Parts: sequence; structure tokens; C-alpha cells
Amino acid sequence: MSAPGGGLIGSPAPRRKNRELLTGEGTYVADIRLEGQVYARVVRSPSAHARLLGVDTSEALRVGGVVAVITADDIDDIRIPIRLPFAESPEANAVLQAPLAADVVRYVGEPVAVVVADDPYVAEDAAELVSIDLDELEPVLDPANSTESSQPLVHESFGSNTIGRLAYRYGDIDAAFARADVVVRRRLRVHRLAAAPMETRGLAADYDPGSGVLTVWGGAKVKHFTRALLSRVLGLELTDVRVIEVEVGGGFGTRGEPYPEDILIPLLARRLERPVQWIEDRWEHMVATNHAREQEHDFELAAGADGRMLGFRVRGWCDHGAYVRTQGLLPVVLPMVHLPGPYEWPAFSMDLDAVLTNRTPVGTYRGPGMTEATFVRERMVDILAAELEMEPADLRRRNLIPAESMPFSFMPGPGSGAVMPIMYQGGDFVTAFDQMLDGAGYDRMRVEQRQARADGQHAGVGIAAYIEFAAVGPFEEVEVIGGAGNVVVRAGVGSLGQGVETALAQIAAELLDVPLSGVTVEFHDTAEVPQGFGSFASRSTVLAGNAIAAAVDEMKAKAAPLLGCGPGDVEFRDGTATAPGDRSVGLGDIGPTRGRFEKEGLTASFGGAVCSVSVNPADGRARVDRFALAHDVGRAVNPRLLRGQLAGAAAQGIGGALFEEVAYDEHGQPLSVTFADYMMPTAAELPDVEVTIIEHGSGSNPLGIKGGGEAGMVGSLGAVANGVADAVGDGAEVLTSSVSSARLWHALHRPRRA
Amino acid sequence: MAGWLDPHDSVAVTLTVNGAPRKVRVPPRRTLADALRDAGFTSVRLGCEHGVCGSCTILLDGAAVRSCLMLAVQGQGHTIETVESLTDGDELSTLQQAFDDNDALQCGFCTPGFLMLIEGLLRSEPEAGRDRILEVVSSNLCRCTGAVPVFQAALNALAANRDDP
Repeated sequence: MSAPGGGLIGSPAPRRKNRELLTGEGTYVADIRLEGQVYARVVRSPSAHARLLGVDTSEALRVGGVVAVITADDIDDIRIPIRLPFAESPEANAVLQAPLAADVVRYVGEPVAVVVADDPYVAEDAAELVSIDLDELEPVLDPANSTESSQPLVHESFGSNTIGRLAYRYGDIDAAFARADVVVRRRLRVHRLAAAPMETRGLAADYDPGSGVLTVWGGAKVKHFTRALLSRVLGLELTDVRVIEVEVGGGFGTRGEPYPEDILIPLLARRLERPVQWIEDRWEHMVATNHAREQEHDFELAAGADGRMLGFRVRGWCDHGAYVRTQGLLPVVLPMVHLPGPYEWPAFSMDLDAVLTNRTPVGTYRGPGMTEATFVRERMVDILAAELEMEPADLRRRNLIPAESMPFSFMPGPGSGAVMPIMYQGGDFVTAFDQMLDGAGYDRMRVEQRQARADGQHAGVGIAAYIEFAAVGPFEEVEVIGGAGNVVVRAGVGSLGQGVETALAQIAAELLDVPLSGVTVEFHDTAEVPQGFGSFASRSTVLAGNAIAAAVDEMKAKAAPLLGCGPGDVEFRDGTATAPGDRSVGLGDIGPTRGRFEKEGLTASFGGAVCSVSVNPADGRARVDRFALAHDVGRAVNPRLLRGQLAGAAAQGIGGALFEEVAYDEHGQPLSVTFADYMMPTAAELPDVEVTIIEHGSGSNPLGIKGGGEAGMVGSLGAVANGVADAVGDGAEVLTSSVSSARLWHALHRPRRA
Repeated sequence: MAGWLDPHDSVAVTLTVNGAPRKVRVPPRRTLADALRDAGFTSVRLGCEHGVCGSCTILLDGAAVRSCLMLAVQGQGHTIETVESLTDGDELSTLQQAFDDNDALQCGFCTPGFLMLIEGLLRSEPEAGRDRILEVVSSNLCRCTGAVPVFQAALNALAANRDDP
């Protein structure tokens, strides 16, 4: 194709908006200034678990400039619902969070009151004067023993700290263990992490009593859900709620879910009939915004002496924190579907508990569930490799599901609960695995490792292979409006800094054969974008991209009668719809068209990571010297942006393994509430992440795309932990996903058992 | 009460930002970052408000500083530069262009801070070597890219600056 839009899908088109961001012009929610706006400050629980006997706001109300102070007594008794039907259960619905705590506080940081003042500094002053009367209760802090009867209850009325137990049985697990030559057993722990985008959360809300319209700025990710929720809890017509997305400083799964503040700030704007702005500070962010990942697993792996993996049993505890939030049971559902991974297990048995503790609620963070599951499984595979004295890459290759077995499924057997079946639509895992090793130069890595060891260094190489389920439905809808020299695409997904607007423009430009510069993508305003499900699960490009393809087909159908031909004869050429015999109509004459792409189930893709690691035993510091990942995206719409997503996600994961941890003390007080104690990596601690893009198509959608925005994270914890374990050898056993210098130093200097 | 101001009083401060003097009235406890943002320089971003992330980095008399760690009243008499000063008309600076070329930004929130940090280095230490550049770039945090592309952009910009100062 030589025409303007030809070949745009798959081209490294430059990212849109860069110029605006480089010149500092982008408007983030904190930059919004509305006439007469006031500022909110949330008063939060200082205790992990206590009866809330009273909240005295009188002193705060006396501060000059304070406009209002509200507590639970001032609002309706509402709960923030679960957003995804498949992540709901009656038990989960029994422990949802209210916007403001009423009788009991259940984690440090839980909202108790909101102060509104005409100046943000004054709002903070007054918030300090709100007096909270608390009767301390014992906190529940350890997920793995939270279910024991000696433990206090996080929600007394619910009667248990277990809010769900998922069981998945496949094959004959007892037979698998009976015929095993080797069984390895370990308890593995995944540590608590925070996504920690550079921009904290924030909102601005304005209610116009004249028109009755409530406008909310700052909600990204799931705008249409937020709008529906606000309409319901505030008693407004759906069309009277507008949610507008502004520039966003990173999402990573945590930003844009409806949190307590997403109810409180619009509610205050409506009640006060004044614009209200709330900007989370970093301390608040570290206790108020969803945490992620914390879980423990007792894992047993059975294998033959030849390295054939015969089965695994896992009993796990997945922490949900003090409440179930909008993502429901995903913190337990997602690890479960990702635990088997890419291997051809004859049998497995999984029992995972969703548990509550008196800490900040847990939600999804880039690569949710899959990153945790990959660490657990891949660490165990390496422990098995050591036991069998087998090369870790060879052991994995021997057990990968062969291409000829595709499509492949582990259908749940007798004894399973209501679980999502684990199915892989296609792919060639063995070839992709070897592409990953070749891309990384694995053999050379091993040679260099031997040389480094000969020089007395603690050098290791770590591998992790995984399956990522992504691109979740149920649908995405777009509107395509053709015009002279410009095509507008309206989509309901969100831009979180990942560049989705560039990728969608490329798809529209190629399919309509117009120049890239002639496509505008709009997604900011729910008043303009008809419907949408949002940006999560690496779904935006897959779902909205295919909806664009559907809209373009619809344009052909509408153009056909104008051209006097069949829809199949319509071709888009140079900004017009053409029919055989040189007839043509302009895109603007066709009229707006809608396209909808519905998708069932999840799209599985294979990937992995390989890294080389060096450890300094004197201070326990591990360094990732090289990190190479590979991921099957089906088809790369924009390989340049994709590389940025994959490498950036890997950098976050490496930081999570080496430095970051949300820690709590024995009273449930958070110890990681600033960037001085939640330590994220800088350029000096990170390698230049190497990326191999694999394009094994996807039959699940016409464009053949799979997810890619999160995948760089998935292998990171597992690969780094395996690399560190390889580096320290018998010196220390690596059983947690955190391999921080403190942990490693203690592990290396622990008195050895005889 | 000689010298002490009530926290709720405001004082007049003249901030010279990007070459133009601006008179602002601020309570004495208002940070320089907040005062600049209130004056419309919203490229000064607040990621942590305690001097770790560097998103609020500006040039003060040519040196990169965290504006969240200064009070607005301390800005009196100093020359302040923000990212708005880098662009010459429509033309991106060599440094800004290097960010674009090296995919050194995604969400863009930390970008102005990084640009000013490296701009400070370009001016004060144009001969800085690789290790020094890495040391300086590692003063700020980027959660999207991991900042290795930012380091690459800085290397390229300093090299270009040496070739064509």
C-alpha cells in the first residue's frame, strides 16, 4: 500500500502529546482552578483497628476559612460496590467500604471525616483539630494466620476473616504425587507493594444548581462506571453527571477506580454548591490508595527424575486488606488462573483463601495476580531444578505445552468451585521461549556468570516464564466521524500515559487510509463518548482497536448505497470511500458510525524474562546487571510505544524486587509512607531493559492483537528472585519476592543450621 | 513582635520567573512550589512534597533546586526558571528534543522536573562525564520509564551541546 494510511499498524509512530508534556502545558487535576473553589482534606484513622466512639469537629469548624466538616453521620449509609461481576460474591459484598467509617476503623488511613476550607493549608490545619475518640482493638496483620480462631475479626458482623475460598482441581493429583521421584515443598511469600505513580490521586468537582449538572475531573480508567455510581449514590440523572479525564501522571491499575474520595468530593460539591478540589498528598497516597500483591503460598511440586513436572498442590492466602474494594476478589481470582502457567501439568490442586487484615485494601497493580503467581511457580521450578541438578532453562523447555496441543485447556475437575476455566487459545510456547533465550543471549549470560564466579563474584542468572491473561471484555464501543481532512474517533477507554491515543489513531488511519495527523482521538469526556468500560487488563488497544475496525466496516455498509455497490466493493483510499469505476464519496458524507467489539473471556499470551544478577554479600545488595524480556503481543500496533510499556513495567518490577516494600509494624502502623521509606529505583539502579517482541497473532479478535501494557512486570519478581537465588547459592534460601539488601544480608548472615 | 509574622498574614514577594518579575502575596509558610503553581507555573509538579521525587525541580540562579523545600519568601531576589523558559518560540530545545527522541517520557508528570535538573547540569557542568550525568539523573524519580531513557536523553543532549554549544 502506498497511500497515506498504509502500513501504519505496526509502525513506530511518534507518541502524541509529547510536545505538550515536554513544554509543561499538560493539565493535570491539581492544575485545575475553578472560580470560587474550595479545598478538601480527608481526616484519616490513626489506628489499624479501633471502635470509633465519636468524632468531634467543633474545634475544626471554628477555624477561619473552614467551610464544612462532614463525618459518616452527615452522609447516607452507602457502600462502594464491586465493579466486575465475575469478581463478586455475597461474602465480598458483605465487607465493602463506606466512604466514611462509622463505628469501627479498620486500617490506618481509613477516611473518618472531610474538612473543606477556602485554602488548602487551612484545610490541613483544621483537619488536625478534628478529634477522633477511639477504643483500640487488636489488629489482624498476618494473612496466613488471619483465619485462625484466636485472631480478632476485621468485620465482627461478618464473623470470619475469610471472604472466599477458591478451589480448582485438575487431573488426578494424588496419583501424580504417588508416582513422583521428587517432591519439593516450600512456603513462599509475596510482599506488599504499591504502584506509586508519580502523580497522587486527585479530584475536582463542580455542581451547577442551574442546570443540575455535576462535573467531575480527574477520574480516569473507568469513567463510565464512576459516572453511573455517582448518578446512583447522589440521586442524579446519568446524563447530569459528567466525568472528564485530564492528563494523568501514571495509572498502573490503582488510579481511577472509585475510592471513598470519589464519592465524597462530588457529594461535597453538590451539597456546598461550590467547586471542591482534593489532591491526595504522598503520605495519604501510601495509606489510602490500593496496595497490591501480598500473599503466601504453601506449594508442593511433584516431578519425575527425568524432570517431567507431574503436578502441584498449593494452599494460599491472598490478602485483601480491611475491605473489598471495586475490584472485588481479583486479588485471589487472578493468582489462581495464573498459577499453572505455560507448563503441561498432568494434575494440580489449588486452594486459595481470600483473607482480610487490618491494613490498606488491596487491589490490582500492573500485572495483577500473574506477577505473584509467576514468582511462586517459577521460584518452585528453580528449586526443583536445583534438586534435580538440571539446567533451569532445559527443565522449563521440557515441560512447556507443545504447540501441537493448542488450543489447550485445564478444565476444572470434580471438587472445583465456581472458577474461571484456564484456557489457552494458541501460541507456540517452545519457540517463543527459545526466542526469549536467544534475544537475551542466555548461553553467553551463563558463560559470563562462570567467569564472574571464577573471579570470586556472586553472580546469578534468573529465568521466569509465564502466561498473561489480558484483554478482558465485555465490550468497547467507539464512534468514528469522518470529515474533510479529519477523522474523529471517540472511545471510552482511558489514557493513563500509556499512549493508547496514538495506537488507536494508527489503527483508524490505516483502515481509512488517511494520514495519521488527520485522526483525532477523543476519550476525555463522558458527555461526548457514548459508552466505555475503561482502561485496565491491557485491554484498551485490543478492545477499542477492534471496535474501530467494526466501525470502519459499518462505514463501508453505509457508503455502499451511496456508491451503488456492495459493501464488499467499498475501499477506502486517500480519505474517501471508493467503488469500482472511480466513483467515490468523502468520509464526511457517510455520516458518523458506531462500532462495537464484544469479547468473551481473556486472551492468553506467553512471555518471560531472563536476568543476570550480582550480589555483594558484604551489604546484601543485589544488582540486576541485565534484564531481557520477551512477550507475545499477537501483533504490535506500535512497537516503539510497546517497548516503552514493556521496559517501564519491568523497571517497576525490578524496583519491587530489590527495594520497594509496604511494611507495617506489629500494631498495624504503616512504615512506608514517604518516598524516603518506600524506595523506588532510579536510573542508577536499573539496567537498560532489553525487549523481544513476539508476534504470534491472536485469533480472538480481527486485528490479531494481545495485551501488552502490563506484561513487562509479570516475569520480573520471579526472574530477579531466581537470579538472586542462583547468585547466593547455598548461602541463603530465597523464599520471598523481596530480595532487598536488608533481607538478603540477614539471610546471608543467619546462623546456619547444622 | 519584631520580625515574626502571623501564619495567616501574607507578605508581598517579587519572584523573577523566566525573566519577568511577578509580585505575589503569600502567607509566609507557603512553599515556593505552591506559590509558583498559584502564579500559573503549573509545570512545577508536586509528587512527594518532601524533596525526594524531584518533580518540582526548578532553576534558582541557574542551579537545580527542589521548589517544594523552599518557602516562597526565600525566592525574593532570586532568578527562577521553569520548563516554560526552555522553548524558543515553537522550537523545542535540544534537551527537550532528546527526551522526545529517546522516549524519555510517558505520562509526562515528572518530565518538567527532569528537564530542569538536566538543564542545570548542561549549564553548570557541560563537560560532565557519564558517571556524573548518571549521578545527577538519579536525583529524580520516573515511574513510567524507569529513567534509563532519561539518562540516555541526558547523555545525548550533553554530547550535542558540546558539539554545538
